[in-house]
Amino acid sequence: MRRLSLLLTTSLLFVGALPALALAQEGAPTTEDLSLAMDTMWVLVAAVLVLFMQAGFAMLEVGFSRMKNVGSVVAKILVNLAIAALLFWAVGFALAFGTGNAIVGTQGWFLAVPEGAVDDVYAGLAWTQVPLSAKFLFQVAFCAVSLAIVWGTMLERTKFAVYVVFAVVFAGIIYPMVGHWIWGGGWLTELGMQDFAGSTVVHLSGAMAALAGTLLLGPRLGKYDDAGRPVTIPGHNMPLAVLGVLILWIGWYGFNPGSTMAVVPEIADIALTTTLAAASGVLGAMLMSFAFRRHIDVGMGGNGAIAALVAITAACAFVAPWASVVIGFMAGVIMYATLIFVDRLGVDDPLGAIAAHGMGGIWGTLSTGLFTAPELAAVGQPGLFYGGGLYQLGIQALGIVACGGFVFLSSLLVFAVLKATIGIRVKPDQELDGLDIHEHGVYGYPDLVATDYQNGGARMPDPVIDGRTAEGTA
Amino acid sequence: MGAPIAQATASGNNVVAVYPDRVELRSGWKGQNVESLSIRDVSEVRISGLVNCILAIESNTGRIYRLERMALPDARAIKNAVERQKQTAGLYE
Repeated sequence: MRRLSLLLTTSLLFVGALPALALAQEGAPTTEDLSLAMDTMWVLVAAVLVLFMQAGFAMLEVGFSRMKNVGSVVAKILVNLAIAALLFWAVGFALAFGTGNAIVGTQGWFLAVPEGAVDDVYAGLAWTQVPLSAKFLFQVAFCAVSLAIVWGTMLERTKFAVYVVFAVVFAGIIYPMVGHWIWGGGWLTELGMQDFAGSTVVHLSGAMAALAGTLLLGPRLGKYDDAGRPVTIPGHNMPLAVLGVLILWIGWYGFNPGSTMAVVPEIADIALTTTLAAASGVLGAMLMSFAFRRHIDVGMGGNGAIAALVAITAACAFVAPWASVVIGFMAGVIMYATLIFVDRLGVDDPLGAIAAHGMGGIWGTLSTGLFTAPELAAVGQPGLFYGGGLYQLGIQALGIVACGGFVFLSSLLVFAVLKATIGIRVKPDQELDGLDIHEHGVYGYPDLVATDYQNGGARMPDPVIDGRTAEGTA
Repeated sequence: MGAPIAQATASGNNVVAVYPDRVELRSGWKGQNVESLSIRDVSEVRISGLVNCILAIESNTGRIYRLERMALPDARAIKNAVERQKQTAGLYE
């Protein structure tokens, strides 16, 4: 019996000691190894959160669309994500973060890098030590968000081919150029422009491209009445739109805190400023809505949250919590005023993307020049309200004009070429029947639309018969 | 009535559609104003501009319908459809 227990004890000790022996042979992980593993995990989680924002955009756009167009919205989201991923992998990432000159990166195509030369090839991201694949995944998610913003204004009347062609140019060239200027070691990096997670790079870029496209596209049929006054065309599902806003809000916790690309205590502070700003933005927009229209507009509340999140994106790491409340509240107010103004100008923006992402981006970028605290100014100078003078504010304004102007003009050129060659707008019958049946051959809600027609509505269009013209298939 | 041979959207809720025997111009917030022009009454269709095109449809009575901010392919499709229908009907010498 004693011999048996001795044998068992020896065996247990041996088994227990095996892992320690193995680790001793291979070398125990150092603190640096564990830190790198945690950073990598954090960046991947953040990248997934930012990618999840595509679901937010899908729900937001579906909610604000009419029932007959929801299929085209989700199809567009899918194809744009796919194009953004491939184009950014092939050329975009190299143009944005590759080592190059002040205007553009010139190395690192297709993520092909010699062993051990990652920091030399991608100098723009050499400040973070996570693996190259993690850096790429995080940045490509940003590119896809910027591209998704473009189409919010162009819903319900744009040809599917336009989404595809413009996505190639935007994800392959336009967005990476702006990214290089501010984040990739370009000329605005050198000047010390503050744009922590992309109020300008991501959101203003998307909004400026959207404005260019919308100006050439024109408003939806029936958006303006015979006196030229804007008419509200309500979306078909407000709960879905609000779900989209909430998904975007959650995704922003990858967007802003994730931009540290490292597990540092500051990510909690960034999450705090992000939350306070978004909450203030909702209230700001709802108060404006009540002040002007005497009712609480749910869509405006959602857009207020988005505008505030966009605004705090540039400043989230540089400002105190009280400042984030001011930034968020003002973003909600500015968004509402811009939305009304843009609507009256004759620019049909079904989602309010120009107001939320465009003006939100401009206000957010400028706000860092006002509110950046000296102890948090890791990049650039403290803000005007902390005695930093006008220097930082001037740099921020210069960045807005340069990046916004470049994206607007280059996008205008692309859309103009598309309009002059293949056309950017669907035919009027297709717009009236809905893009789902004409562009995709199915309805987003087939049962509901069929019922509507059976109950005495117009004749249900046939994708084959109605899609055919004398010149061939429309 | 059938589907139009060609159709396009211009600015300000204006829609133009070409049918085998006529050109139809719809306007108004809900497309409530419909003006029909027989193919026989169309004397000329002109396009000016490259990106935001102006399509001018002139009738035999001298009236000119100007459709603005159209895409070039759309304007060309309307012009070609009208001219083809006039050709088919033997309205050109």
